[in-house]
Amino acid sequence: MSFVVQDIAKTFGGQKVLESVSLSVEKGEFVALLGPSGSGKTTLLNIIAGLTQPDGGRLEIDGEDITRLPSGARRFGMVFQSYALFRHMTVADNIAFGLRVLPRAQRPGRAARAEKVKALLELVEMPELGNRYPAQLSGGQRQRVAMARALAIDPRLLLLDEPFSALDAKVRQSLRSSVRSLQKKVGVSAILVTHDQAEAWALADRVAVMNRGRIEQFDTPEMLRGAPATSFVADFLGIDMLER
Amino acid sequence: MSLRQRLLIGLAVLFALIAIVAPVAAILTRAFGDGLGAWWSAIVEPETLHAIWLTVLTALIVLPINIVFGIAAAWAIARFRFPGRRALLILIEIPFAVSPVIAGLCFLLIYGAYGPVGAPLMNEGIQLMFNLTGIVLVSLFVTCPFVMREVLPVLQVTGEDEEKAALTLGANGWQIFRHVTLPNILWALVHGAILATARAMGEFGAVSVVSGAVRGQTMTLPLQVELLYNDYNTTGAFAAATVLTALALVTLMLRSAIAAVHPEAGGRT
Ligand SMILES: Nc1ncnc2c1ncn2[C@@H]1O[C@H](COP(=O)(O)OP(=O)(O)O)[C@@H](O)[C@H]1O
Ligand SMILES: [Mg+2]
Repeated sequence: MSFVVQDIAKTFGGQKVLESVSLSVEKGEFVALLGPSGSGKTTLLNIIAGLTQPDGGRLEIDGEDITRLPSGARRFGMVFQSYALFRHMTVADNIAFGLRVLPRAQRPGRAARAEKVKALLELVEMPELGNRYPAQLSGGQRQRVAMARALAIDPRLLLLDEPFSALDAKVRQSLRSSVRSLQKKVGVSAILVTHDQAEAWALADRVAVMNRGRIEQFDTPEMLRGAPATSFVADFLGIDMLER
Repeated sequence: MSLRQRLLIGLAVLFALIAIVAPVAAILTRAFGDGLGAWWSAIVEPETLHAIWLTVLTALIVLPINIVFGIAAAWAIARFRFPGRRALLILIEIPFAVSPVIAGLCFLLIYGAYGPVGAPLMNEGIQLMFNLTGIVLVSLFVTCPFVMREVLPVLQVTGEDEEKAALTLGANGWQIFRHVTLPNILWALVHGAILATARAMGEFGAVSVVSGAVRGQTMTLPLQVELLYNDYNTTGAFAAATVLTALALVTLMLRSAIAAVHPEAGGRT
């Protein structure tokens, strides 16, 4: 699996929100989109997920052009900032949703679905909570249910939009490492949106620093800190260019 | 409790007594004044029975149309930015702002036998006014805002992310509506449908203009009540009114039951 974003552009009511954004994700790689609020990170993630149509550019997965492919056909698992759990469904039904809505020919049977839900609940370390409703869970538990629901469709790519921003600092720390180990265990490529550089350093193999709808630099954390390409990157990462 | 508070509460109670309790009590005493037997024979008068049937039939036809239209309009307004969106928001409030009698007259002017729409249809042998079709049309007009007004605020504050999540998980439009949107709006929807139905059954002004008031044929319950009263058939008029009152009370109880179980759906009026 390799995923390529090529020259993506998007305008909202005359305002250029994304300008010629390019990016690539290798198999099993964890990429972070890092930038200040309003820099276009969520818009880019929504375009990748198929929830927003780009004005120009191209999305490619293993050489297949998916720019116009409907969201549901992409098989990208997405974790929303608000988690967006289905409040009227139990945790188990939330996780099984992506399997339940498959066309009849591809849909696993009831027993197979229950099996899969059980495995996923164990994977996110909440095996006894399948019958709870989202309102009965803590913030950290909700986030893990959202992860399990996204993983249930065997996604080709995992998309995470500020998945830790609704959590308090302590939970955030522990969930960070569990998200990274989950992603490694499943072997799925992932794109994380964040405005918190500590999060990017802790999780990502490569980080794309975004500013006003452009990617200023796309590199490993070491390279970003050692050789910031623009003054914006240096400023944003808090590196004093003159001292170096 | 201060004197001022007592005074306010006293005023509110007094108002409720004068405006609500006294009229209902009057209806009941007049209707049952000549005994239960007289009340019953007034109800089973063929003309009154027909009026009850016509009223219920109208409500049953109007209800599903209201539900479909209300959800569609609310969803479009809550989820999309399209040209004419603001106009639709204002347009949909018109039935609340226009006097029902005026609305009825407008329908008569346009869809009546000499109207721009009614005349050509009349030549084809299709009559729109002075029959069930006319009654249903104006009832739709006066009730169409209710469902949308209840559902829209719920849709605006909840569910957009859930719908997007369902989309990324591969659900189609119907599956999203059935499993995600509908459960979220269900109680607001029921609430709006109850309000619309109560209004449809109680509407007098608009219906009286387009029904043509054909005895035993196009008289809905509110029209029948007036007819009987003008005929000096007081017992008949008030007996028919008890049916309307009972329908209103059922509506009220359904509403409070929903508000008790799902406070987020009711409350606003
Ligand atoms: N649906 C939309 N309509 C109009 N403007 C939008 C829309 N979505 C995002 N924007 C604008 O695009 C810019 C980037 O937003 P976003 O992608 O959410 O940034 P980030 O996630 O980096 O904070 C912001 O200025 C925002 O106001
Ligand atoms: Mg964002």
